[in-house]
Amino acid sequence: MYRYDEFDTTFVRQRVDQFRDQVDRRVSGELTEEQFRPLRLMNGLYLQLHAYMLRVAVPYGTLNSRQMRKLAFIADEYDKGYGHFTTRQNIQYNWPKLPDVPNILDHLADVEMHAIQTSGNCIRNVTADQWAGAAGDEVEDPRPYAELMRQWSSLHPEFSFLPRKFKIAVTGAASDRAAIAYHDIGLRLTRSANGEIGFEVLAGGGMGRTPMLGVTVRDWLPKDELLAYLEAIMRVYNLHGRRDNKYKARIKILVHELGAEEFTRQVEEEYKRIDAPRVMPPAQELVRIKDYFAPPVYEDLPDQSPELARCMSDDADFAQWVDRNVVAHKQPGYAIVNISLKPVGGVPGDASSGQMRAVADLAEQKSHDEIRVTHEQNLVLPHVRKSDLYGVWQTLKTHGLADANIGLATDIISCPGLDYCALATARSIPISQDISRRLGDISRQRDIGDLKIKISGCINACGHHHAGHIGILGLEKRGEEYYQITLGGSGDETASIGEIIGPGFSSETVTDAVETIVDTYVGLRQDGETFLDAYRRLGPNPFKEAVYATH
Amino acid sequence: MAKKITGPQILTANRLSDGMVVFLSADGTWRASIDAADVARTEDSASALEARAATFVQTNEIVDPYLIAVEETDTGAVPVAFRERRRIAGPSVQAAFNGQSNGSLAFAG
Repeated sequence: MYRYDEFDTTFVRQRVDQFRDQVDRRVSGELTEEQFRPLRLMNGLYLQLHAYMLRVAVPYGTLNSRQMRKLAFIADEYDKGYGHFTTRQNIQYNWPKLPDVPNILDHLADVEMHAIQTSGNCIRNVTADQWAGAAGDEVEDPRPYAELMRQWSSLHPEFSFLPRKFKIAVTGAASDRAAIAYHDIGLRLTRSANGEIGFEVLAGGGMGRTPMLGVTVRDWLPKDELLAYLEAIMRVYNLHGRRDNKYKARIKILVHELGAEEFTRQVEEEYKRIDAPRVMPPAQELVRIKDYFAPPVYEDLPDQSPELARCMSDDADFAQWVDRNVVAHKQPGYAIVNISLKPVGGVPGDASSGQMRAVADLAEQKSHDEIRVTHEQNLVLPHVRKSDLYGVWQTLKTHGLADANIGLATDIISCPGLDYCALATARSIPISQDISRRLGDISRQRDIGDLKIKISGCINACGHHHAGHIGILGLEKRGEEYYQITLGGSGDETASIGEIIGPGFSSETVTDAVETIVDTYVGLRQDGETFLDAYRRLGPNPFKEAVYATH
Repeated sequence: MAKKITGPQILTANRLSDGMVVFLSADGTWRASIDAADVARTEDSASALEARAATFVQTNEIVDPYLIAVEETDTGAVPVAFRERRRIAGPSVQAAFNGQSNGSLAFAG
């Protein structure tokens, strides 16, 4: 994992001191709320419906055990004993008190963490494939580049006051687990025809009220030109982005209004003007960063573990968990463990301090001290010996973390919605809980197979509903919550935007509608056909007919 | 100029120190419960509520004060807007973690 250098350490500490002074001045009245608001937002502190909310950055979703224990400590000491992992691989605390926040930031700085640029019209936390460095299908580990972008974008003077917030995602694999097409800039490490590794660069993707998929502006970009090319994109956006209208200010609108071809032409034109060697760090700096992401020292193991096979044969629950939650590692004898934060009927993405500590202990003892946060609001132990899997599972079970539902119907993404969020128009968590209970029987979930249900409590789409195989958007009409359903969305390498199937449903009937959609799929699917494949073959009509005939 | 209102109003804000939802009561204090909220039934009294709230902004006790329309029922004032009803009720989930919750796990209020 990357470790702060002297500059990082000094800079983060200075920001804590600065914010402590700002909070003191706010409490004393020297600063008005109007003056203070932009300052607190720059440090990730929102005022939500019922309390302040602090959003802490988890750079490209990577944590070590010390950091996770610190997050647990903060949950206990300054919040209500839990935290909420988000769709941007961050963690949010829902109940911090204003005078405590500088102390929280001090504790975070102790473990090389902060909340800078988790809000505001700047480049936000760069997200990445949660299996980076471990996945078998990876061309190259994307994290060194994510770290490079973190350093480049932190307090970048030119890009600190953009027309709107800006999100970058990066993957090193052909299977897209980072939803790159839904980001302002999406990056995929890929091989050129002659086998050289570079980046495919996408721009103009996004969710919100106007969902759009990113377009490829460069099929292949040499790796050492990354930052210079990003600067060209940022400059075109910074200059022409719609600052006059908040709802049209994201880069997706600019790309759409100019057209992909003209946008690309302007980026390439700008790129010619950029002094690339000045922007890119010296080669030895990238080597220095890469060294931090060197693979752990693996044991030389056979890929098959007789112990694992025996445990799977003896314990059906464990075998089911391995089947859904454990995936292949590039190193023989090792596996990637996905930890579900989606217990049936639970709050998606929430983890208690005890659960955080349990995961930290497991990471330290069994996963080379590494933890990942996923954009689907789960956790990952990326480097576990296959022979350790049974013990890891037993420990997870003790802490309520062994649900064998990764990628199944109850692995639901949900934003905080109107239970917490000041922008929300409807609640989303109770809907996810209701659906989770309805479809929760594990045999039924396994029969349904891969299914991504995603719920947002307002049009801003933090719950990624546009990318849900079944997407649900909570709105309000005449004092009642109602829920619009979209079908056929996907955030993977075959990205698509879900289509609205018709009039919305009340909070009492939306779960029935989802169940009807699922049952319709089960009735019409062909052998081995997933929900998404079936929807793409059948189109919306059979689902519409079933839902609106019965509801 | 008197505040234009369409029905009874109360004044709400968030407490500066912790963001808690509070209401301006008749005795001039800010309370976490809506039950003691001072109800303005005329435009002049609504304006007076706003003026009183402004003094608490000056003394840094509360932030973002605003009037909300309520319906006066036998059991007290109930906000007209759905969002305000949810805001007052607190999260409807995770009662075990949440001091402000009404204790219901789903779809209360």
